[in-house]
Amino acid sequence: MTRRPRLFGIDRTRSGLQRAVDDELRFHFDMTVRELMAGGMNPDDARREAERRFGDVNQVRDRLTHIDRQRVGQEKRAEWWSGFAQDLRYALRGMMLQPGFAAVIVLALALGIGANATMFGIVDRLLFRPPAFLIAPERTHQLYFRRMVDGKEFTGNSSQYQRFLDLTESATTTEVIGAFSTRRVAVGVGEDTRELTLGAMSASLWQMFNARPVSGRFFRADEDRDIGGANVVVLSHGYWQSKYAGSDSVIGKTMQIGPASYTIIGVAPRGFAATQLLTPSAFIPIAVSATEDFGEMWKRYRTTYNITWLEIFARARPGVSIEAMTADLTNAYRRSWEKQIAVQPRTAPTAIAQPRVALYPIFEERGPEPSADTKVAQWLFGVAVVVLLIACANVGNLLLGRALRRHREIAVRLALGVSRSRLARQLLTESLLLAVLGAVAGLFVAQWGGQLLRATLMPQVEWDSAIADPRVLIFASATALLAGLLAGLAPIFQSRRTDVAVALKAGAREGYSHRSLLRTSLLVMQAALSVILLVGAGLFVRSLQGVSAVDPGYDVDQLVWIEPRFRGTQLDSVRRKALYDGLLEHALQQPGVENATLALTVPFNATYSDDIYLPGADSASKLGDFIQQGASVGYFATTGTRIIRGRGFSDEDRAGAPLVVVVSESMARGLWPNQEAIGQCVKTSERTNPCRTVVGIAENTKIGNFGNDWDLMYYLPEAQLGTNYYSMFIRVSGSANNAVDAMRRALQPLMPGAGYVTSKSMESLVSPSMRSWRLGATMFATFGSLALLLAALGLYGVIAHSVAQRTHEMGVRVALGARTSDVAGLVIRESLRIVTVGVILGVIAALLAGRWIAPLLFEVSPRDPMVLAAVVVTLMGVSLLASWLPAVRASRVDPAESLRAD
Amino acid sequence: MSTDLELLQGTLDLLVLKTLTWGPMHGYAVAKWIRETTNDELNVEDGALYTALHRMEKRAWIAAEWGVSENNRRAKYYRLTAAGRRQLQGKTADFERYAQAVFRVLRTA
Repeated sequence: MTRRPRLFGIDRTRSGLQRAVDDELRFHFDMTVRELMAGGMNPDDARREAERRFGDVNQVRDRLTHIDRQRVGQEKRAEWWSGFAQDLRYALRGMMLQPGFAAVIVLALALGIGANATMFGIVDRLLFRPPAFLIAPERTHQLYFRRMVDGKEFTGNSSQYQRFLDLTESATTTEVIGAFSTRRVAVGVGEDTRELTLGAMSASLWQMFNARPVSGRFFRADEDRDIGGANVVVLSHGYWQSKYAGSDSVIGKTMQIGPASYTIIGVAPRGFAATQLLTPSAFIPIAVSATEDFGEMWKRYRTTYNITWLEIFARARPGVSIEAMTADLTNAYRRSWEKQIAVQPRTAPTAIAQPRVALYPIFEERGPEPSADTKVAQWLFGVAVVVLLIACANVGNLLLGRALRRHREIAVRLALGVSRSRLARQLLTESLLLAVLGAVAGLFVAQWGGQLLRATLMPQVEWDSAIADPRVLIFASATALLAGLLAGLAPIFQSRRTDVAVALKAGAREGYSHRSLLRTSLLVMQAALSVILLVGAGLFVRSLQGVSAVDPGYDVDQLVWIEPRFRGTQLDSVRRKALYDGLLEHALQQPGVENATLALTVPFNATYSDDIYLPGADSASKLGDFIQQGASVGYFATTGTRIIRGRGFSDEDRAGAPLVVVVSESMARGLWPNQEAIGQCVKTSERTNPCRTVVGIAENTKIGNFGNDWDLMYYLPEAQLGTNYYSMFIRVSGSANNAVDAMRRALQPLMPGAGYVTSKSMESLVSPSMRSWRLGATMFATFGSLALLLAALGLYGVIAHSVAQRTHEMGVRVALGARTSDVAGLVIRESLRIVTVGVILGVIAALLAGRWIAPLLFEVSPRDPMVLAAVVVTLMGVSLLASWLPAVRASRVDPAESLRAD
Repeated sequence: MSTDLELLQGTLDLLVLKTLTWGPMHGYAVAKWIRETTNDELNVEDGALYTALHRMEKRAWIAAEWGVSENNRRAKYYRLTAAGRRQLQGKTADFERYAQAVFRVLRTA
């Protein structure tokens, strides 16, 4: 609103209102006095009489001004709303007139906002949102323990039960200290037995949460004892629902967990997952769990620091700084370290180990070692923001294009006295309306795409649905607002530059001078951003290809992994051996089974290591970790690991026969460079053990990590290795994924007592380690294609508009003898010029960003020329395609018609 | 004892609205009209009158506009709006009912 006082008009500023009241009252006094004087009073008496009649002037004056200000406030609000309603009607009418145009914009924004809402939901869950029900997240921390080992600092969050007790006893700055550990345990009996993840938690940990049991109660400190504790279990809400259909009668029932029977005492509320991202199926007292899990070992080690297996969390007292808490806990840790030295004399002295505590957020993913998935998720969030930027640039460009077409209309309205700010508001209303529609559609995109993505990223997490999550809603609205502002800015900027006189003089056809610099820069930016995303997509696709192409040294797709679990059943070595033989034999009789073997080491799951010694040499350990595999005769035939030279194992390699060993190629080369490995002597475990003769060299294998060098591995015949706990690989003729259940059903009945078998495909063990690349490849490719599509749309819009504007010029050219191809070339060259600039900028940016993304790639340089070349060609191709239609249209201009048009 | 009647706020609004039915007037004219019509019986303070005018302007019963007075001075003129006219009708009816009720009580004595 204007601040200029108008003659006889009303100035609505505060001082203006005051002046108006003063003017009105002065007029009143003057008139009263004049009338009284006309009646014969002298001036002084007249003034006094006027004041008497009026009452308290100052009070009235203030009251009137106050009332007027309220009135003006009301008026302004009413005007704003009616203006808004008018803008909204105008915007809606505009949308109705060009529904296709509006649909494209809403779609572009929906994709941009949807991608952001999805990624925000994921990143929020991983990194920002404290566990459900947690009291005072800002005061709650996870303890990490640091100590010096061989001059290097070692950090870890894993600790011991005795340590937890020590810290609880001596820490003074904490309100609660709790311990937590997850366990994979067999639950149920017989056919019904399943492995579930349980949360073993200290009773104190409940105090960290403001959670009430849905049914029953939680366990108490006197139940959480390793001696004299109680076998009680609290179910998670999800497990209660799926297994017991949410029935209250479950309280007091028993449940077989591992070797023991537990009483169900309560049900945790929905969403409660203790400190975890993945909700355990049930919660049991941690001390009770220790006695079950560690069995005999626990009796020996319950008061020592040998078994490292749990995580510790602590909440500070209010007002205690994180520094004070760290210092206090470090002190407690040192005292505990001294106690450890007392019971375990071989512990490093405190002065050397320098034990100290570091506090990290309760979320593991924000600790010192976030997973690769989290890093990729963070990247993807950045990528989603880029997509939104592109969408905004695109929408801005489309709106701008329309603003240019409406140029004369805008000029007319300006000439008719519509203020520029009012016009800006109108344009902004329009873009915000589109953004709001985009956000609504975007939430559906997030809902649908989110499920897909979350299933890929973290399949076991209990996610809230995107639409129901208020934080995602808030984020989406904020994004929409920002997007609306950004997209609206361009046309507003343009409208400010409108020169009324010039625009009106120019006539309808020459609506505006040819190309706008702003539109071109928006296009350049879109092209550049598309290049960056597509380069990212290319790099991840190449990584994924690389990883998939790696031959791990065994046939992943055909292997089923069977792990026999004894669950408390004690078998002597003879009976255990007989059981293993029985399992192998039974497996071989199953249809579709080609071969089977026992194995100690399981790739991407559990590895065995043992010291090895060579005659005349020091320990060979400095070469690295040597992974030991114990194998049946059929091992190599089962896994598909090839014997390069020499032989595998045969029935001759039994106990008492000459000791043999097969080594991996990498190990042979490492231990005996430039020598024949076959025939060499290797001793395992102890220097004094007898020689094992190398009889064969096997191809290299990947055991723990795709990114690492080849693992150093050696194979011993199971018959010469002595007793151990084995698992089994079974080679099937079809896909192992389809055979998993059949194998479990076939072998389960052979297990004695409460024992059972777990059955998994090798693929399910291997694929999680490829997930970060698969995710990166999928998402970058999706977002990249999205960006490219948006950029192509934008380019098409601008070029088409430019051609439409230049119809007259084209007509003249054709009339003057230009050939069809000349005119088409003109249009295509224009679009190529724009795209080339964008591509150059994008490539530069991608090269600069490469440094950060390199650690996430698999054996691909972030500056991979193939990827860069492919992206450049793609972009050029798409830009040709986008300008093709307008070019064809331009070349078909009929000169007679276009020149007559005026 | 004062013979002046204590004026209820609603009654003052009623008087002002009625006065404005004669056409747009500035505040002074409204005050003068009321004083002369009631022979100064009501003793309305001018300040209260202006408060009523502004309050009713806020409620959009009357609208204000600056104009030129009979002696060529800038003055704020008030006129009745459609909403004000409706108020006047309603309030007049209310007041008549009220006054009759009061009189009925007084005449029983």
